[in-house]
Amino acid sequence: MSEKKRQTEEELLEKVTSAEYKYGFTTDIESDTIPKGLSEDVVRIISAKKNEPEWMLEYRLTAYKAWLEMKEPEWANVTYDKPNYQDVIYYSAPKQKPVLDSLDDLDPEMKKMFDKLGISIDEQNKLANVAVDIVMDSVSVATSFKEKLGDLGIIFCSISDAIQEHPELVKKYLGTVVPHRDNFFSALNSAVFSDGSFCYIPKGVKCPMELSTYFRINEAGTGQFERTLLIAEEGSQVSYLEGCTAPMRDENQLHAAVVELIALDNADIKYSTVQNWYPGNAEGVGGVFNFVTKRGICYKNAKISWTQVETGSAVTWKYPSCILKGDNSIGEFFSVAVTNNFQQADTGTKMIHLGKNTKSTIIAKGISAGESNGNYRGLVRIAKGATNSRNFSQCDSLLMGDKCGSHTFPYIEVKNNSSKIEHEATTSKIGEDQLFYCNQRGIGTEEAIALIVNGYCKDVLNQLPMEFAVEAQKLLEISLEGSVG
Amino acid sequence: MSLIENLKSYSEGINVSSDKKKLLTSFFEKGFPTIQDEEWKYTSLKKLISEDYSIGKNGSILSDLDISNHSLGFENKIVFSDGKLISTPKIKGITFSDFSDFECSTADTFLQLNSALANNGFTIKVDSNTIVDEVIEILFFTNTENSFNQYRNQIIIGDNAEIKFVEKIQNLSNSTSFVNHFTQIDCGKNTNVEYNKIQNNTENSKLIDTMNIFQKEDSTCNINTLIFGGSFTRNNLNFEQNGSNCESNMNGVSILDKNQLADNHTFVDHKQPHCTSNEMYKGVYLGNSKGVFNGKIMVRQDAQKIDAFQSNNNLLLSENSTIDSKPQLEIYADDVKCSHGCTIGQLDEDALFYMRSRGIGITEAKAVLTYAFASEAIENISILEVKLLAQKLLAKKLNVDLDFSV
Repeated sequence: MSEKKRQTEEELLEKVTSAEYKYGFTTDIESDTIPKGLSEDVVRIISAKKNEPEWMLEYRLTAYKAWLEMKEPEWANVTYDKPNYQDVIYYSAPKQKPVLDSLDDLDPEMKKMFDKLGISIDEQNKLANVAVDIVMDSVSVATSFKEKLGDLGIIFCSISDAIQEHPELVKKYLGTVVPHRDNFFSALNSAVFSDGSFCYIPKGVKCPMELSTYFRINEAGTGQFERTLLIAEEGSQVSYLEGCTAPMRDENQLHAAVVELIALDNADIKYSTVQNWYPGNAEGVGGVFNFVTKRGICYKNAKISWTQVETGSAVTWKYPSCILKGDNSIGEFFSVAVTNNFQQADTGTKMIHLGKNTKSTIIAKGISAGESNGNYRGLVRIAKGATNSRNFSQCDSLLMGDKCGSHTFPYIEVKNNSSKIEHEATTSKIGEDQLFYCNQRGIGTEEAIALIVNGYCKDVLNQLPMEFAVEAQKLLEISLEGSVG
Repeated sequence: MSLIENLKSYSEGINVSSDKKKLLTSFFEKGFPTIQDEEWKYTSLKKLISEDYSIGKNGSILSDLDISNHSLGFENKIVFSDGKLISTPKIKGITFSDFSDFECSTADTFLQLNSALANNGFTIKVDSNTIVDEVIEILFFTNTENSFNQYRNQIIIGDNAEIKFVEKIQNLSNSTSFVNHFTQIDCGKNTNVEYNKIQNNTENSKLIDTMNIFQKEDSTCNINTLIFGGSFTRNNLNFEQNGSNCESNMNGVSILDKNQLADNHTFVDHKQPHCTSNEMYKGVYLGNSKGVFNGKIMVRQDAQKIDAFQSNNNLLLSENSTIDSKPQLEIYADDVKCSHGCTIGQLDEDALFYMRSRGIGITEAKAVLTYAFASEAIENISILEVKLLAQKLLAKKLNVDLDFSV
């Protein structure tokens, strides 16, 4: 490569590192915040504030006790200063708790914020055809299209409302897929989660619109601990989206969420995430610690499909998984993880094959730029009884810049001799010949890279619902603007 | 008594240097790794270390017949009997000598134990520009019952030299044997080395084999590992490329049945630019056998233009056989081509049907397909005798009377 070309590349790379996070503003909304720190009392306060029944408090307290005995995991290939769990605010809610008749009553400041984020919470805007539940800091502030969904028997509300209104469902399913002592962060979440989304699709119902949750951390010094529980009854179908942003702050904010999906016989759940928490600045200061446990269970003939576009967070620790319990069930995982500057991501999936004829597909695409490190960590486990199971995994990494790293840690455990497993992984950079080919045809280097990256991620982006695919593509462009490997 | 108690009482009876004492103390504090240890996640040592072993004892004298029975027939032989070096060949340009206490810092428990207590092994020095046509055969015999042996071997290869080895560890007793084997190879500039390991020991023999290879620029090193026998085999194969334009090649074939376990850990550390590594491990699992594969490829920050390829293919041919595979890539340089592939599956039903419909019996048809599967790795062996032996052992293991050499 000529010296001149390398120089222009360095300039271009420089430009990437200076690309700004555009959701970094803060909004001045009065909030009800409890003091810092975590203790049994804090757990009781949160539970009391939410006016929860006794069994819920019990659940939180057992989780808290389990958490006290647990150690923060260190096996992931990431390094960060462990958060001081006594220095985090565990509950913060916008003061104006919206018992709203219509979304017009929403705090104008808040509305402005969501306009800025480009999220339509206007029910009149039928074009969007997306029902949105918005969780700010710790509390769900607005849910749209509630009535229209209610006509079909679909319950889509915040999890606190669900605990009040549908305790039997919450009690039956909460913690069944991710038990409270599953891991350090899920235990913490089980103890202090303040809100999240709840969704229940009745038997045989095909949800007519995309359901969506938008998460926003606003208050400084708070942690966000949301809990999502999604139940798809027999033969139902749902597509669920989640998006997240946070203000730019010098401190590391903690986000520890738990998502549980339950797909009963013949149900079909598609869960898409566009994660864009604040990644920290170009020097690696600040940013959100994103420690998330996501897991779904598939009963007979059911299907769970995870799609994620991960561009934000300073540190990501996230493994959306499928337990393929029922015969003929299907698990899918499609992921694009982009890291830039000093971001670190350790993400992947687990596919646990228990039932016969179960199938899973894993497509993971990593893109690393700047001085970031991207890791794929995955597990495919075929149990002895999982006859005729099938897995296909593909993990590709694209490196941009000579200071970044990309790593793959797949674990494959097979105890059944009628199953077929294929795994492949590649690591490379964008070929000079590919760029030359585009340049030759009058496509500028930056456009060429965008083109190649888009092509590289196409398998995953194609899985996203349309509205999200556009957003994801834009995000990719912003995250990688001008980088040449 | 368990192994750790055997080692304690053995080490009390001998004099060791203060450095070694330190190693021993830390070993006894730490104990053997458990499955909580990431490096031993899939391989449990529990049974292995709970048995009673005799350390540092000599058995009956080896007969010439024993040697010829287990030799591949090469003229130049290095022979060990219960740890004692009993014969070395004479070749111009090569110096053969007994155990030398070379240093090697490591965090590995078995290597620490080896550093502290091993007092057997060989040292080979190959002069620069020596090209050896003959193959050097290295035979390690165990004659004592329930023995625990440690070998510590070093091969230093001068610049521009070429040399080939075949190594075999053989238990002649009717009881168990456990060998903690360590070999270090220093490859000089522009050297070409091939080292073949035939791991076809008796049914109740255990082996932990660690091989560290340090390569200088323009060197090529090929390591072939053939696992047919032994109840427990753990191979740690580590390459460190310290010069540009190095090539590291690894081939492995494991064909296991009954309660055999074979664990292959490989690690290639690409520290310099313009290097390549090729890795191909094939596993065939029958009976209640268990296979473990852990292949790690590391590309350091300034090691640009690296081509690293790894493939691990496995056939599970019986109901109770299992495989745990963990290919790993850690890449800190951007201008590289690295890939790994891993497959686990069965023999193709259509191919089996095709052969059977042409009058080939099921066992033979399966054997032919299995051989075709494994042959890719066997083909890369350059020594005809080793290749023929691999084919013969494969046929024997699959219980067929077929000659794959034609």
